[in-house]
Order: sequence, then C-alpha cells, then structure tokens
Amino acid sequence: MIFHSLDFIFFFVAVTALYWMLPHRAQNILLFIASYVFYGYIHPWFLILIATSTIIDYCAARGMEAWPQYRKRFLWLSVISNFGMLGFFKYFDFFIENVVAALGTFGLAVDGPALRILLPVGISFYTFQAMSYTIDVYRGELRARRNLLDLAVFISFFPHLVAGPIQRASFLLPQVESRRRFVPEKARSGFILICWGYFKKLVIADNVGVIANKVFALSDPTFYILWAGVFAFAIQIYADFSAYTDIARGTSRWLGFELTENFDHPYLARSPADFWRRWNISLSTWFRDYVYIPLGGSRGGTWMWVRNVLVTFLLSGLWHGASWNYVLWGLYHGVLLVLTRAGSFAVPSPRRSGWITVLQIAGMFLLTLVGWLLFRETELSAVVRDLRLSPFGVSELDRQTGAYLFLLAFVYSIPLWIQSLWVELRRAPALESPPLSGDLAPWPRMALQGFACGLALAAILVLRSRTSLDFIYFQF
Amino acid sequence: MTLIVVMLGVPVVIPAINAWMAGPSLPPTYLPALEGPRARAAFQSTRLSELRYLQPGYVVIGDSMAGTRLDERRLGELSGTAVAPLLQPGSGSAFWYLALKNWVIASGIKPRMVFVFFRDTNLTDLMFRLDPQFRWALDLTALEREEELNALVAKRIRPFHRAHVFLDRYMAVDAVRRRLEPAVAEWPAERLIASRRRRTEFMSLMNERLGFDHLRPMTAADIQIGDAPDFDFERDVDDSVLPLMLRDAKQAGLTLCFVRVQRRPTAHRPPPQSPELEAYVAALRAYVTERGGIFHDDTGDPALTIDMYEDGDHLARHARRLYTENLYNRLRTHFQ
Repeated sequence: MIFHSLDFIFFFVAVTALYWMLPHRAQNILLFIASYVFYGYIHPWFLILIATSTIIDYCAARGMEAWPQYRKRFLWLSVISNFGMLGFFKYFDFFIENVVAALGTFGLAVDGPALRILLPVGISFYTFQAMSYTIDVYRGELRARRNLLDLAVFISFFPHLVAGPIQRASFLLPQVESRRRFVPEKARSGFILICWGYFKKLVIADNVGVIANKVFALSDPTFYILWAGVFAFAIQIYADFSAYTDIARGTSRWLGFELTENFDHPYLARSPADFWRRWNISLSTWFRDYVYIPLGGSRGGTWMWVRNVLVTFLLSGLWHGASWNYVLWGLYHGVLLVLTRAGSFAVPSPRRSGWITVLQIAGMFLLTLVGWLLFRETELSAVVRDLRLSPFGVSELDRQTGAYLFLLAFVYSIPLWIQSLWVELRRAPALESPPLSGDLAPWPRMALQGFACGLALAAILVLRSRTSLDFIYFQF
Repeated sequence: MTLIVVMLGVPVVIPAINAWMAGPSLPPTYLPALEGPRARAAFQSTRLSELRYLQPGYVVIGDSMAGTRLDERRLGELSGTAVAPLLQPGSGSAFWYLALKNWVIASGIKPRMVFVFFRDTNLTDLMFRLDPQFRWALDLTALEREEELNALVAKRIRPFHRAHVFLDRYMAVDAVRRRLEPAVAEWPAERLIASRRRRTEFMSLMNERLGFDHLRPMTAADIQIGDAPDFDFERDVDDSVLPLMLRDAKQAGLTLCFVRVQRRPTAHRPPPQSPELEAYVAALRAYVTERGGIFHDDTGDPALTIDMYEDGDHLARHARRLYTENLYNRLRTHFQ
C-alpha cells in the first residue's frame, strides 16, 4: 500500500479509529495485523520474508541470552540470514551480471541465469532495523524480548516499514511495549506533518520529478539541460524522501508513537560532514554505529580513518541499490568527507560571517548536485559523457531549455527553500511549530495552522502532478 | 477540530475562484464514470473524409508497435491496394475501439481487412492508457457520448476513484487545474523571452527537443510498456472493448485481424512467456477466431530476430520493410 493513495487514507482512518477503542495488548495485535495487511497488499508473498526475518531475529536474540557462550554464533545467524535475504533479492542479479561481464572480458561467453528477481519493497529498511535489534542484544545494550508479537510490531510497524526512518530497537521497542495514550497536541502536530508531507510529495516531488525524468531520458543532453535536470532531481529526491518521513512520523503520532527525524534541511549544509548530519539521518547513524565505529572509527591513525570512512560510504552507496553508480556515489561522498576533513576547510562554524556561510552552502550544494548526478545516472558511460559536457558551444535553444527547466523546478521548490531557511535562521523544529504562530493564543494559532493545511490541500488538488510517481526510496 | 474545519474550508474557495474567473462552462465528458467535465480536443472528423477519399483495402490501427513495424507503402505494393494507417503512439484498446467505430465504420468504407496491433494483454486491459495524459488522444476519436465505453469503464474503476470524480465534478478542480497549469508552465518562459510569438515558438521547439526522437532507446521502449497485469482472459474479456470491436466489425461486414507483436527477444530465443500468459493468448486466439476474426501471433517467429529491434519492443527503421514482407507472407492466404 502506498501513502499517496486513497486506499491508504481509508485504511489509516479505520485502523486509527479502531486502535483507540482497544486495550494495549489488543492495540499491538491490531498494529501487527494492519502492518502485515499494509505490506502484503500488493504482493502477499513478501510477508514470508518479513515474518522469517522476525522469527530468526527473535530466536537469535533469545539464544544469545539463553546460551551466552554462543552469543557470537547467534549473531552470525541473524546477520547471515538478514544479509542473505537482502543479498539474494537485491544483489543476486547484479552479481551474476558482473560475473558474466567479467568472464566475457576473458573471452568466455556465458549465459548467466537471469532470475529477474522482484525486489521486495522496504527489505533494506526492515532488515537493517531487525539487525540493529540483534546487534544491540549481542552487545548487551538491550535485553532479548520474550514477546514475539512486540518484536514483530517493532519490525513491521507500518508507518515507516517501506522507506524508514530506520528506528533503533532501543528507541521504538519500549514504545511498542508501553501503554500509549491519545494526546491531542501530538495528533495535531502529526496532522500538520502529514499535510506537509503530502504537499511535498504530490506538489513538489512529483512535479519536479517529471522534469528530472525527462532530462535523464534524453540520449543527447547538453550542459544546461543536464544540470537543470540534476537540480530537479535534487529537489525531487529530498521532497520525496522527506515527505515519506513526514507522513510516517505524522501517522505514528496518531497512533501514539514518536519516530526519529530523518532530515534536517540538508541543502543548507556547509560541508560534507554537515550534509551527512542532515541527510537520511537514521541510515547514516546506523552505518556510523554498526559499521564505522566497529571498524575502528577515527582511532588508529589517519589512514585507518580514511579506510573506515571510505568503506562505510561504499557500503552505504551499495545499500541504495545493486548498481555501480550507487557505489560510485557512496565513494564520492566518502572522498569528499576525507578531503574536506584533511584540508580542514569548510567546517561549519557559527562564528563565521554571513557571506562565508552562504558561499559554503552554495559550494556544498554544487558538490551535492554532482553526487546526485552519479546517483541518478545508472549507466557509467552516461556518467562519463555527462561529466564531459561543456557549458560552451551550446545552442541557444538548449541554453534556454536548460534555463526554463531550472526555473520551473525552482518555482516548485520555493516552499522547501522557505521552510529550510526559516528553520535554519530560527533553528526551530520544522513545521511542528509553524513560523507565524509561535506567539499566538491557541485558537488563532490553530486557525492559522488550519489555514496553512487548507492551502496545502488546495494546492494538492489543483497543482498535483498528473504523473503520479512512486516514492523514490521504495526501490531501495 | 478548529484546525480541521478551517483546513477543509479553504479548498471550498476553489469553485468560487473558478466561478469568479468566469470561464466558459465545460461540456460533459464522454466518460463520466472516469472524470468530471473538462475541455476536450475535438473529434477528428477529417479522418472520415480522408478514408472515404482513399478507399483503402487495408486499415491498420495501433500504437507505436504498429508504427515501427508496418511499412504501409510496402504493404500497398504487395497487396496491390491502398493501406490506411490510423496510428496513435501511446494509445490503448479504448482508442483502437473508438478508431474502428467512429472512423473506419462511420466512414462507410469496406476494407478487406482491419489490422489491430497489440501486445500481450492490451486488448482486454481496458484501463491501459486511459490515464489523464493519454486522454487528449482519445478525444480525437470520441463522440460526445460513448455510452458503451463509459459503461465498461464504470465496471473497471475502483470505488475510491469516485472521490476523484466527485472532486472534479463539484469542486471544479479540473477547471482550475487547466487554468493554473499553463500559467505555471508559461511563467519561466515569460522570464526568459519577452515576445509572445517567440515564446510560443520556443515552447514548441523545446517540446520537440525533449521529445520522443531524443530519448534513449531503452527509455523510449520502457515508456511504451505498461505494467504487466495478471493474466486471466475469462475474467477480463467481458469488461473489455474486444467483444464490442468484434461485434461492430461483424455488423459492418469487416474482418478484423489482431496481430500480437513479439516483445524483444533475448539473445537467440523468443521472449520468455509464463504459462499463464500462454494460456491467456490461447484463450484470446480461440475467442477471436470463434467470432470471425483473424488472430496472428508474431511471438516465436524465427524471422523476427533481435537485430531488427531498435530498443525494447520497437523495430528499427531498416526492419520495417522486412517485417511487412514477413507479415504479408505469413498471412498470404488472407490477403488473397
């Protein structure tokens, strides 16, 4: 089931209405059933995977506690089963393709088995979430849960199941286990998040996504058209992914849960390190805690640190998809981080003057755009061609077309920039405390927020794209 | 509560704005089950006079599958009679049905055969390419009322879609969208080019620059492919336009020849087909032939090799002549 469908809205309203009539244990049963209906809505067989992952992780964690001397073996059981599933469904075809290609270069023509495996949506998200549970139990930071239902709800909790944010067991599991109560203030802020999320997805992401798709479908882009398309994609992926997070967080609040934030206005980052503190926060902290730090982090000298950063980013790139362009994208960001740290420049500092900050933000945004080109362009030959495009000698039509596409994408992105700038300047927590209402009495504040939501709803009705696109992160 | 009441109150101004802008009232649509009133492209009646003038021996209906395969001039040479292509890239079975009914049959011509090119389940997948972006093409073939098509669509749409129709009908959403969208699209052009004439020229050139001829081959192919639906011929056939096409053709004394095109082969083999798809095609073949139609399946034809394909399912320009001659030979008995 997808968030931007009427099916989901009816589903969510029905689940929420029933949910608050039930006692705590029954609420969890309902959440479990609702999550499995949500996930199995299109392909019921996907449920076998998530159920298998849940049962194995449940048993592995219980085993760790029951037989501490075999803790490591149980951890391996969890890691191998989760990565095995992920590897098979996500990377098997990629692996075979590359083996066949490699053999081909040695003159060995081999027909590899083309399994055309369908990637179960969200598998990268829930396997990582499930593994965080077993790893934390292994480290002794969490006790193994006896209640399978609670663990199943934690892994399959439908608001964030298919595109995150990835939640830590230590954060979400206690919420599953404790009694929840309906807090009108949380529901109100959740509702605002949902409206803002739908607006970002349907009005911003889908409209600029059409521009990006158009440009990246061209066989002969020129410099200005290409970079207008990259800009559009940058807006699309942020609006799209953060929209999903907002809707996930908003719907969770209606169910009495709190999910962690996943974005902090990343296009206002001033350095690569700053960018990764703001972009897909739940994934980057997962990699930090479960890959980078176990590898040694910054301990062990400069070269070890460089190696650890590059390995972490390479894996992070590969997590996004079975394709070399994602690997390249990950490595690119790793190299950026290493270079900027090594040069000790562009390090964010609140004491710097306004102009330097603006230049840092602009510079980082341009570097981010190069990264998005690597991310979006799936063929390496096309990446090379794109990076060789020159701004000179371009026809007037192509220059104007590039300028037109850029302006069109920019118009749609204005609300995003305004929100980011407003929050950045005030450092207030996003739209949850909307700009114009901070000092107002409750009734006018609600009226103002209602008016803003109404505008978002009206914009969705009359400005939503005619081409409905899937959430980008569904494919990961 | 205040928040929700105020929020729901805001969109109510949409129809008021629409009324204030005093646009001309929109005509009812020919697919009221699917959409509210909207401005539509006019029915292309010139097709009727063209067909009457040409008096073709053969008519070809289809999308780019037919357009990139059939060389109508070569078919004319082989068959010794004129061939009329009624092709629309990005069209689906609803378009093909209306083209047959409102152009071919309405023109009163008596071609020996009417070819309809399709892929896999297109003929029983009524909703294939009925999305808003394809409807302007459908407008070209549709009369003011299309009761039978609308009744079929009504059976196919999901209950939740009625909410969309409600919004279109009572909130004038579509009318406002039709004013807003060109304004938003025009705004960047106005910033770049002052002259209205040059702006119009630029927009047209830009659309061409970003158009089909400039797409990467595989992208061009993918755009043409809809999501593969599940295969159940018996379930879908009565809610599709196929029975109407066969009935109308029979009443008009026309012979329909349905040509299932072969998808891109893999290296040296025909494209893989699931047992469900094979069963579906067998049922489709039986259905068509029992009702007086001709069914031809390109799939597995050894003459259609991978080097003839430009991308996914489209043939390269150089292969059109070869394909046409091959089709003529395969259906030679029907051409004589």
